[in-house]
Amino acid sequence: MNSFNTIWAKGRGDRATWLLWGLAAAFVAYTFATGGYLIAVLQFALIYTVLVTGLNIFMGFTGQVSFGHNAFAAIGGYSSAVLTTTYGWEPLPACLLGLAGALACALVVGYPVLRLRGHYLAMATLAIGLIVYEVAVQWQSVTQGYMGISGIPPIGIGSFTIASDRALLVFLMIVAALAMLSAAGIRRSRLGRAFVAAAGSEDAARALGIDVARYKLTAFMISAAYAAIAGSLFVHAVGFVSPEVFGLPMVVMSFTMLYVGGIGTIAGPALGAIIISVLPESFRTFKDYQDLAYGAALIVILIYAPRGLASLPELSARWRRRSA
Amino acid sequence: MISTATTTRILEVEGLSARYGHVEALRPVDLHVDEGELVAVLGPNGAGKSTLMNAIMGLVPTQGRVRFRGREVPRRAPAAAAALGIVLVPEGRGIFAPMTVAENLELGAYLLNDRHEYARRHARVLAMFPRLKERLSQTAGSLSGGEQQMLAVGRALMSEPKILLLDEPSLGLAPRIIEEILQKLGELNRQGLSIILVEQKAPLVLKLAQRAYLLSVGSIAAEIDPRTIKSHDELVQYYLG
Amino acid sequence: MYQFRWISGLLLGGTVALSGMSDARAQDAYKIGMSAGLTGYAATVDRAWRDGVEVAIAALNAEGGIDGRKVELVVEDNRSEPQDAVTAYRKMISSDKVRVFASGCVSAGNFAAAPLVARAETPMVLCSILPQQPDQVKWAFTTIPPPRFEVETRLEYIQKRTQIRKIGVLHDPSPYANAQKAAAEKEAKDYGLEIVGVEQYKTDDADLSVQIQKMYAAGARAIIKIGLGGTTLTAAKNIKQLDLDMIMLTSLEDIAVFRPVAEVLGDKFFFVASPSQVYDGLEDSPLKTEIGKFLKPWRAKYKDRDPNWAGRGWDAVMLIAAAARKAKSVEGPNMRDALESMDNFQGTTGLYHMSATNHQGITENPLLLATITGGQIKVVK
Repeated sequence: MNSFNTIWAKGRGDRATWLLWGLAAAFVAYTFATGGYLIAVLQFALIYTVLVTGLNIFMGFTGQVSFGHNAFAAIGGYSSAVLTTTYGWEPLPACLLGLAGALACALVVGYPVLRLRGHYLAMATLAIGLIVYEVAVQWQSVTQGYMGISGIPPIGIGSFTIASDRALLVFLMIVAALAMLSAAGIRRSRLGRAFVAAAGSEDAARALGIDVARYKLTAFMISAAYAAIAGSLFVHAVGFVSPEVFGLPMVVMSFTMLYVGGIGTIAGPALGAIIISVLPESFRTFKDYQDLAYGAALIVILIYAPRGLASLPELSARWRRRSA
Repeated sequence: MISTATTTRILEVEGLSARYGHVEALRPVDLHVDEGELVAVLGPNGAGKSTLMNAIMGLVPTQGRVRFRGREVPRRAPAAAAALGIVLVPEGRGIFAPMTVAENLELGAYLLNDRHEYARRHARVLAMFPRLKERLSQTAGSLSGGEQQMLAVGRALMSEPKILLLDEPSLGLAPRIIEEILQKLGELNRQGLSIILVEQKAPLVLKLAQRAYLLSVGSIAAEIDPRTIKSHDELVQYYLG
Repeated sequence: MYQFRWISGLLLGGTVALSGMSDARAQDAYKIGMSAGLTGYAATVDRAWRDGVEVAIAALNAEGGIDGRKVELVVEDNRSEPQDAVTAYRKMISSDKVRVFASGCVSAGNFAAAPLVARAETPMVLCSILPQQPDQVKWAFTTIPPPRFEVETRLEYIQKRTQIRKIGVLHDPSPYANAQKAAAEKEAKDYGLEIVGVEQYKTDDADLSVQIQKMYAAGARAIIKIGLGGTTLTAAKNIKQLDLDMIMLTSLEDIAVFRPVAEVLGDKFFFVASPSQVYDGLEDSPLKTEIGKFLKPWRAKYKDRDPNWAGRGWDAVMLIAAAARKAKSVEGPNMRDALESMDNFQGTTGLYHMSATNHQGITENPLLLATITGGQIKVVK
């Protein structure tokens, strides 16, 4: 269990850890109670938590890089949108088919692409995202191009739908929590150790008999599955999808969340997703200077917590030791 | 030449060469290791010692043949080599820094699917390196250099190798620590484990090794009997040719 | 602890700042919300729209507002992205308590927000195309003319004023361009014209000569170009380099974009213009009077900046003001009903005929075709 704790917060600044989580919980409770548009902000943050948690499995645990996970979110999102609106499917089977589609795509694309490393892998994955975006624009008979698809029903099973904002918020909190728990489970499993081993030293892992190529592909597919689920959640939450939803800004956003939150940790993706979603809202009153203030805040965070917010408790513990 | 008529060979390497692109990193090499033997591979920096180890393991593209107890070892398939019982402790140790000591050891037995056998090996490794036992839940990255090397060896032992390949275990360690590690290796060898030990610091290993190969610029320059090397100067002569 | 305190302070501060923005003055002012792409791909158009809306609100407030209430504008940047638009709309509905929206031209953003705007029973007057779902259209109105008008103006000119009978259509993949392309394909034969080629391009293409040559080879002697931005100049340069005997007629846009195009193609270049863009050449009419009311403060503030998109913004605010006066209520459903009754409303773009079945008010084609000769804009139709 000790090892689990280390992974969870990467440190033992217990008081600080609890404070951070208490603060997050207080914010969620506040939003939940007062309602208002912050609920929407939080809903997006939770959907991003799922996406970034998946990305973290591939980038944080397995030490690879992908600029193309928006492609898998798009496959999930468009499957849900098209199947529920055009063909009248239930959201759940539509989501599952999207998931299967994303997995198949990740398998076919990952097999050749994952032979690449570093910058080449980054470029190749970036291309996947751009290609899927282009398909969403051009395949008008199915995706309606830039017009987008509207009238996507809310999430639900049968006659039970999650229509109210608060219910959706609770549902997304459960999904995000499941995403984090499953990621923690993967990290602690045999599979997760193989991922981290491949990230540490590919040769050393191979010399121990670990089939690195296969595990990289597995990590790629698992993270694609998280992205597909996030994509489906997104279109059901908003009720509309167009190619822009899954464009490059999504990639930039998820990277920012991953690094600000803390890459390779379990809590990092959730912390990053919430902070990066809420931060611009805190600066909305700055009007034209909103982006400037947001950028400055990001720089400050990355200077003082270079390994992400999840490492803050560790930093504060070190600070206390030094001053003690 | 030393007579090997009465012993059986655990590893035979025939015409093994390796190239990175157009650069020939290892010219065709022949060598062999007998059951229970500790063989040293000596040579200066850049002689191709690490490439030779990686080539035997199948980590780099090679030509030539490697036989393990008479069976052909498939090339470019390190997992298959590991399954046969050939295990490499790579140069720079290759420990997984963000993982705990316990997790590193578990990865050593990655191919094993037997809880009892696992527990037995785990206990044996911790008995050999008691210091690892105290540090099981620490991240491997927080260990000292010597402890990391012990972990690297311990991790390799978790797979119960038949032959252990060690690539410069003394790198970056204090003399006292090197002594301790070499002593453990000698102990393992006396228990019957075959070992190939790659080293730059020749005098350290010549006391331990039954035979030694001298590697220079990508090929075997000489096979020597450590007992015949009387002084450091004599070895230097070998190096210089 | 320093870093930690910093972050917590930030979080708490943000929360307090947000909750502090209560609706203390909401009772006094009549709040109009706007989700606009002030940054991102729609920035040029949406900034012009916002500036037009601001000029109109200033004019309204100078006359005492709407029935004695000051009009206040809440603008949120949606970065031309649907997700940001959803957040912006929700913020304006729940925190700012805006009564009506005068939102920008990012279709995807308006579509994404349409369900929640309908749920909040808040009407919106847009400069994008209308959402597709019936329950959402109910709450949305637009100031833009149907896409086919831009096409019809050009088809009519080709039919009546030239000998050309074979034409090509060159368009980008945006929804508005696609709608125009569809209209052209449907209506060309009504004008005795044959479309011999339809080619698509991307807004960042640096060369269109392949598409243009294909259409020319098929016999097209006029190109109907549909889509905004630098590609118009690219197409003009390609036509000139290839030395093709063909004319190009482009869609409505900021006239500043067209001046360099006219330098390349000269009298072979035509563009669709809205009345406000060619104000000085208009005959006296109620339309010209209304445009004049808008252009006076606009030119005072922005000199000769293009008035097209800003004029739509002006129209949106004036429509909202007229509806609010008529409804004598700021409640959403009443406002919506009043907007639906805005028939024969004179705007700067044309005459609006809003009704329960038609939320796209412009039903008679107000658009003109113009050309630039010797630096002077000349209306040819």
